[in-house]
Amino acid sequence: MASGLMKAELWFEFAKDEIQHRFRRSLLGVSWLFVSFAMFVAGVAYFFSGFVSMPMDQFVFHVAIGYAAYLFIIGNLIDGCEVFTSSKIWIKAMPLPYSVHVYRSITRSVLTFTMQFIIIIALMILYGRTPSISYLWAIPAVFVYLVNAVFIQYFLGLAAARHRDLGHLVTSISRLLIFVTPILWSREGMAGQRAFVADLNPLTHYVEVLRAPLMGEPPRLTSWAIVIIITIISGAITLLVAAAFRRRLPYWL
Amino acid sequence: MSFIDVKSLSVTYPLFNRASSSLDASATLDVSEGYNATSRLLRAPNGQIIGVRALRDVSFKVETGERVGLIGSNGSGKTTLLQVLAGIYPPDHGTVEVRGRTTSLVNINLGIRNEASGNKNITLRGLASGHSRSEIEARRSEIAAFTGLGEFLDLPVETYSAGMRMRLNFAIATAFEPEILILDEWLSAGDASFRKMANERMASFVGKAGIVILASHSMSLLLENCTRAIWLDNGTIRSDGPIKEVLKEYSTS
Repeated sequence: MASGLMKAELWFEFAKDEIQHRFRRSLLGVSWLFVSFAMFVAGVAYFFSGFVSMPMDQFVFHVAIGYAAYLFIIGNLIDGCEVFTSSKIWIKAMPLPYSVHVYRSITRSVLTFTMQFIIIIALMILYGRTPSISYLWAIPAVFVYLVNAVFIQYFLGLAAARHRDLGHLVTSISRLLIFVTPILWSREGMAGQRAFVADLNPLTHYVEVLRAPLMGEPPRLTSWAIVIIITIISGAITLLVAAAFRRRLPYWL
Repeated sequence: MSFIDVKSLSVTYPLFNRASSSLDASATLDVSEGYNATSRLLRAPNGQIIGVRALRDVSFKVETGERVGLIGSNGSGKTTLLQVLAGIYPPDHGTVEVRGRTTSLVNINLGIRNEASGNKNITLRGLASGHSRSEIEARRSEIAAFTGLGEFLDLPVETYSAGMRMRLNFAIATAFEPEILILDEWLSAGDASFRKMANERMASFVGKAGIVILASHSMSLLLENCTRAIWLDNGTIRSDGPIKEVLKEYSTS
């Protein structure tokens, strides 16, 4: 994994080429990343604000930050399933460290994430929010996101190359996840079974560690603890699986 | 100094339910066999084909300055051997030691992004082979001249003909003076002028004490470019020696 990280120039170029290609021949080009996110946030904030007790100027950020976080994590789960299968033409042509493809894939999702945050920052200026010291907690949160993205993509990439059903399973689950994660609704003031499901969903905690500080709330220690434990476990599993099965990857593609 | 040392190499491709035939294991002996299916297909106890034995117990050494031609009928394991030497497939059994900067051109459709321009592919492949941007820029005009593609280099590769792709591929692969060059048989598909240029380039390259491994069905191409031949038959080495002797043996068999 480290040797792949060293080839930064290479995966950055791969990612750049991929992004350019995705938006080639479209009028708005990369701006589509802004537009589609802004459309979602505006639509949801307007429509769902009637269902929650939060004031509108809070709810906009609740949705915007939550959705950006959700998209980043889900994006890495889904991209992870095809990170190696879609890099087949390179894996079967050159002996590069496989992690190069993981970093290429993450670079793309980081770009999307960054553009969404530009909108969020614009909204913050628009609503006249003043940053507080708690905002700094977002920095370790983003760092944890990136570390998790590497583990998730490497692991899912290997597993999905061997078992092609996994990609379909992850896509199906991720569609459900948006409803059981507090993005369209708020966890506050909820009780009983639904609150339990929300707490059980790891994504809730991943979203919270980033969103809470940016909403001016103190960091949630329970969420941080859960996120850190999951990161350590998934990291350990990924390293073991990579050590044992990485050599089989070209045969699986 | 570059060398290749292969010791009792075996490679089996797993199939993962891709073979639909599941003959009764006891019945296989009665079936008329093409490609020596009995010995080369790996079957589960229920007769289902689960793998293909591409190479079995292959051992040889190549020293600096040798140009080795690989011959054998279709499906004899030539391409698999090249891919193992290129570091793309790790060996199942046995060891492969390759010392020297290696460039391989095994499949003309791999290692090239169809949607990107020829120029962009020069950059991508250069970076993927571990060269810096300045090295690539220093070679770009030379590569462009060798391809003879002119302004076509600004068009996406998907608009190229097979011959043009081959020129591009070969030009990139040989531009950075690899110590070991691994080529599959498609080289013989080029037109006369390209073959002349390719032959010259390979000759000059071998003058610099490199190793060439070239798989081909073209006797003239092999005689022009190789000093030694390895004859693969059903995944094993049938003969290994000076090019003329092996080719004579091969053509009389």
